[in-house]
Amino acid sequence: MLAEAVLRVSNLVKHYGEVRAVDGISFVVPAVTVFTLLGPNGAGKTTTLEILEGIREPDGGEIEAFGARLRRVDRAAKERMGVLLQEGNFEPYLKVKEIVALFASFFSHALPVSEILDRVALSEKANAMVKTLSGGQKQRLAVGVALVNDPDLVFLDEPTTGLDPQARRNMWSIVSDLKKQGKTLILTTHYMEEAEALADRVCIMDHGRIIAEGTTRELTEQLGQETMIEFRGDGLAPESWTELQMCCEAARSDGETITLETVDLPRTMESLFAWSRKQDIPLHQFAVRQPNLEDVFLALTGRRLRE
Amino acid sequence: MNDVLLLAKTHVVTALRERVTLFWFLIFPVFLLTILTLIFGRLGEEGEISFEISLINRDSSSATAGDFSAMIAEVFTKMGSPHIEGQKPLFSVHVPQADDDLDTFLEREEHALRRGHRAAIVVIPEGFHDAALHAVMNPSGIAQPATLRVYMSRNDVASEMATEIITHVLAEVDREILVRTGHFDPGKAIARETVWAGQDTGEIRYVDFLLPGVVLMGFFTNGLFGVPGAILFNRDRKVLRRYWVTPLSVSRYLAGFALGHLSLCVLQLVLLLLLGRFAFGATVEFAQLDAVLILILAAVTFMAFGFLIASLARTANAGMAIANILNMPMMFLSGMFFPISGLPTFLLAVVYVNPVSYLVEGLRASLGVQSSTFPSILLVIVPLGWIAASVAVAAGKLKWDVAR
Repeated sequence: MLAEAVLRVSNLVKHYGEVRAVDGISFVVPAVTVFTLLGPNGAGKTTTLEILEGIREPDGGEIEAFGARLRRVDRAAKERMGVLLQEGNFEPYLKVKEIVALFASFFSHALPVSEILDRVALSEKANAMVKTLSGGQKQRLAVGVALVNDPDLVFLDEPTTGLDPQARRNMWSIVSDLKKQGKTLILTTHYMEEAEALADRVCIMDHGRIIAEGTTRELTEQLGQETMIEFRGDGLAPESWTELQMCCEAARSDGETITLETVDLPRTMESLFAWSRKQDIPLHQFAVRQPNLEDVFLALTGRRLRE
Repeated sequence: MNDVLLLAKTHVVTALRERVTLFWFLIFPVFLLTILTLIFGRLGEEGEISFEISLINRDSSSATAGDFSAMIAEVFTKMGSPHIEGQKPLFSVHVPQADDDLDTFLEREEHALRRGHRAAIVVIPEGFHDAALHAVMNPSGIAQPATLRVYMSRNDVASEMATEIITHVLAEVDREILVRTGHFDPGKAIARETVWAGQDTGEIRYVDFLLPGVVLMGFFTNGLFGVPGAILFNRDRKVLRRYWVTPLSVSRYLAGFALGHLSLCVLQLVLLLLLGRFAFGATVEFAQLDAVLILILAAVTFMAFGFLIASLARTANAGMAIANILNMPMMFLSGMFFPISGLPTFLLAVVYVNPVSYLVEGLRASLGVQSSTFPSILLVIVPLGWIAASVAVAAGKLKWDVAR
């Protein structure tokens, strides 16, 4: 597939009363990309997605999907989309295979039920009623339903929220597989690790606006040539905190972890170890790492993602 | 088309798999029909347990002492006279007057039995005494018992109970005869032969009056609770939202929903008719064009009414509350279960705006169970008006998603 844009959004606006949930955002989603909207809860990610999925009417802006300019997302566009909603349920008294067959009937083109169940590893549960499924199984069923029409564009709204680590890994491998199959994916998350692990392009959203966009590398490079040093520590005395800040470009604490930013790693390390001996602070869980998206968000907003 | 059919199937399957729905849709109407028929089926007759039976002794072969025929007649007559002052006897026995022709009398009593005015008729046939005598005198034991004829009415609870008692009485008499004539071996000197009296169509039995009402109540409950329940719960739990991100349109969803809903109504109708016919002996014939049209009108009216409720409620629980508030007055101020007469004016006003009243009267009139007190055009116009109003309100107000 050519790397043309599957979706273009310009100046999208959505108000809820006084609140500007989506405040004039624009972005382009190239084909065969994992495009991620990253931001804290309430940033406007889900509202943006719901407009693009066709369940909310925008107050303003333009959407171009699969080369067609749309006032709102229509039936033809939906034929080529697959949606995993952040929240949503299935009829509890239907069997797994009945659910998939039902959703398959809504599309003019759909994959066989058995193939979908195979893909999301639910073949053994084909005759189980939805109400008997575990949380992870329900999420897999939801993924199966999102893929029932073999969509070109897949929306995944917070796909791993509330899942255990094992189920989260499964979801990540499903996303990778879909990309390998040539699908375009739009995914929202408030997990920085998830965006880093999956995304080709990241849009960082806050208060209904896009505050940064690019690949993970591009975004982290915005922070310059900085290296991050982390160790465990809390309740530092004010004078030892002042001394620590002298060792580096910036120092911050989130109550559990102290993070230092430096452009001169050897110098900072030396002063830090000297400081550690002098203050008798053991530097537990000491780590040196590259800046990540969390650091980018913090640098841009002064807040952490999960606050 | 496949999507509509699968949605219809979803609706039916969900209703049948969910025990609560199953109870309200199918078991409750059946239960109500049973209870009301048993309690009120003998309305207008005696309140205490007492059975009206007829006794005809056609045996004139012998009138000597120790006459078996006279003995049996005596037993029943005794049972029909009060033993204790002020308490009704178990049987109230009707016997022919001296100048009555026995055939005419039997015919008259059979007619009464068919109408439910008699529980049973006991006929002692000609030659019964001789047959019984022959039976007990046979040295090689009882070969051929003398046979008594009991007329009973099929599917009539009172008739079945009375016949049961009569059988016990006869068994006692039989034992007595055998002991007195020196027979200690088990055997039978007298036997009972059942004669089924047909049912009389001349008078409407309560079950025939009630059955159309219960059928409509089933449709009514389906519409009033089933429609807003399914739509609002699915909306609030975001089951519907999953549909709206697919190409499925609201109109196709509605088509599937309506088809499923009407299928449930048909299922319920069939079940109630089978029960009515085979357990309670209802004779009313539903397979007539008029009746079928009214049934369709009723199912659609109540479904539209359900949509009206769904569009007035913000949440599923609110929808159920509205349905509950409307349920009782609409059901009881409609003549569904009891004929409406002598209601105060303000209650009559409810009867007159209530679409259920018109549908109940329409259905009973089309079945020939009861003639309508409303002009026949109103029987159709009022429900149609409710459909139009409900659809108009629902089209404007019903929210298909919880999106703010």
